[in-house]
Parts: sequence; C-alpha cells; structure tokens
Amino acid sequence: MPIPWTPAIREFVLAFADDEHLMGQQHTEWIGVAPFLEEDLAFCSIGQDELGHAASLYAIVIGEGDPTGASGPSVDNRAIDSVAFDRNPGRWRSCNLVEMPTQDWAHALVRHWLYDSAEQLRWELISESKLASLAEAAVRAEREEWFHRRHADGLLDILMPDPTAGDVLRSALADLMPVAVGMFDPVIGEAAAIEAGVTAAPFDSRLPLWIDLVRDRFDIDPVLDDRAASIQQHRTVRSEHFENLLSRMCEVLDLDPAAIW
Amino acid sequence: MFLKKDGRDEYRHAGSLDAPDEEMALVLARESYLRRAEGDRLWLVCRDHLIVGTPEFISPNSDKPHRHNDGERIAHRRRRLREKEH
Repeated sequence: MPIPWTPAIREFVLAFADDEHLMGQQHTEWIGVAPFLEEDLAFCSIGQDELGHAASLYAIVIGEGDPTGASGPSVDNRAIDSVAFDRNPGRWRSCNLVEMPTQDWAHALVRHWLYDSAEQLRWELISESKLASLAEAAVRAEREEWFHRRHADGLLDILMPDPTAGDVLRSALADLMPVAVGMFDPVIGEAAAIEAGVTAAPFDSRLPLWIDLVRDRFDIDPVLDDRAASIQQHRTVRSEHFENLLSRMCEVLDLDPAAIW
Repeated sequence: MFLKKDGRDEYRHAGSLDAPDEEMALVLARESYLRRAEGDRLWLVCRDHLIVGTPEFISPNSDKPHRHNDGERIAHRRRRLREKEH
C-alpha cells in the first residue's frame, strides 16, 4: 500500500535533502585548501557523497510528488537542479549548522563529526520507512556513511590526545555545539511523517543518545540550550549566512540562466 | 600502496601517500587511489618496513651480458649446423 504523498511529508524529506546538500557543499569548499593532499581528496569525496544523498532525496521529493507518475523511477537531473537551486530562501528547510561558514579546519572537522554522527541516527529512523524509496536511499547512504564516520573518528583519534590540537578542537566544539543541537529541532511535517510510517520516531528522541556520543568522543560534558531551535523556528528561518552561501553555490548557474547543464 | 585488480592479476605498486597512522593510511588510500574502484584489494606497506636495495648494491650486475640469453647465439649455431647438413 503506497504512502499518500502530502505536503507535510514533502517538508520532512526536503529538510533532510537540504541539510545533505549544504553539508556536501560546505565540505567541497575545502577542495584545494585542506591541510594535506590526501585529506583534500578524502574530504571532497565525503562532500560528494553528501551531495549524492541530497540528489537522491530531492529525486524522492520530485518523483513522489508527481501524481502522474511521469517522472518514473529516474528523475531528470534538471528537475533536481531546479529544486536544489531555484527556491527562495524561505522555502529551504536546512538547519543552521550546515549554513554557517567554517572558520578553520578544526571547525570543519568537528562539524563533520557532529553532523555525521547525527546523520547516522537520522538514516536509522527511516531505514524501515513505509516510503520505499526513502528506505532504499537509507540503505545506499549507510554504505557510504560508515566510511565518513571512520574518517572523522580516525583523525580525531590522533588529534584529540595532542594537547594543542585537543584544545583547538574542544574550542571548535564549544562554538559549534549550541548550533549543532538545532539539527534535532523538529521539522514541520515530522509528526505527519511519523503517523504515516515514513519515519519511526521524532528525531529529537535521539538527542540524548547523540549527546552521549559527543561526550564519549570529546571527553567533555556538553552544555545544552535550546537557542538554536528557537532561532530556527522549525527550520523555517534561514541564518544570516545563508544568502552568501546560496549565491556562491549558484555563481556559475547565474552566469547564464538559460544554459542547459 | 599496492592494488590488485579483480581476477588473477598480481598486486602492483600504485603510488604512495602520507598518513599519520595505519587506520588513516587505509582511509586516505581508498580515496587517493581507489576513487573509481581501480582495484578490489589493497596492500599498504609502511616505508619503515621496506628492505631497501640501493643502486650501488645492484650496479655490479649491470655489466654481465652473459646473463642475457635472448636465444640468438643458439639459433645462429643451429642455423649453421643445418646449412652444413645440406
């Protein structure tokens, strides 16, 4: 029995797609300037994977939302581009963490870890989704995500015990943590998605588990507040950094809006 | 860094990389040399574990033409014997 596609479920899937899109974009901005060549390649691969996840989630938004079924199983890339790039900021559902520019490599690495550890919990919640296309995307994504976590953990395993590096990373964590918690701010449409069996439970029900992971990883007690959630207003409000980010992302597209890519 | 392709091909040297430990060496090797699944198996050997032969150690063997057997002398001799028989 197919799940009836509703605007609420669309919002729910769109929020995940937007997070993956912007996280991938932010990672790929380290191409050419990562601390060393091998890391440059690894980090841009990870960014590329996140962009791939975003594309598959946007394809679900388009494909499931097409009542004629004309989109079929493979959605046209141009249709994906149009959802991915051609929306006014108010229609995005990204969280603040993926919108903020990284200040340095320590911030990028800590955000990579924070995002991917939460992302794992997010995919798990939809791994048995009644929306079959979403459950399939979760299986595909996890094949790549374990590598992302291994990469982030591998670097942190080496860097955290070093007194200087450890201090820099903990300071980056202190900056990022209040914003990162906003990932768990319930997306509009989540309640409907749970009711329809699209997702198993509210994402913020996994927040305590994630906090435990952060505590174990960084060996500190994270201070929690709900500022990020209240600022985001269920992801309906964009951060101050969003417009710059979107304009950078669309820089080449905007050179010739009529061009076909 | 050595890669082996699917099937009966042997491991071949594919390049080298810098990494801070064994775990990161594996992680970084995959994205540096196997981005397009250029092989299906991978060996990493730490430089410190290589036993190195220098050019000075090898060079005395560069002047031993008698060890190069291309079959030409045998072929020449057999040709000569055949011509004699006729």
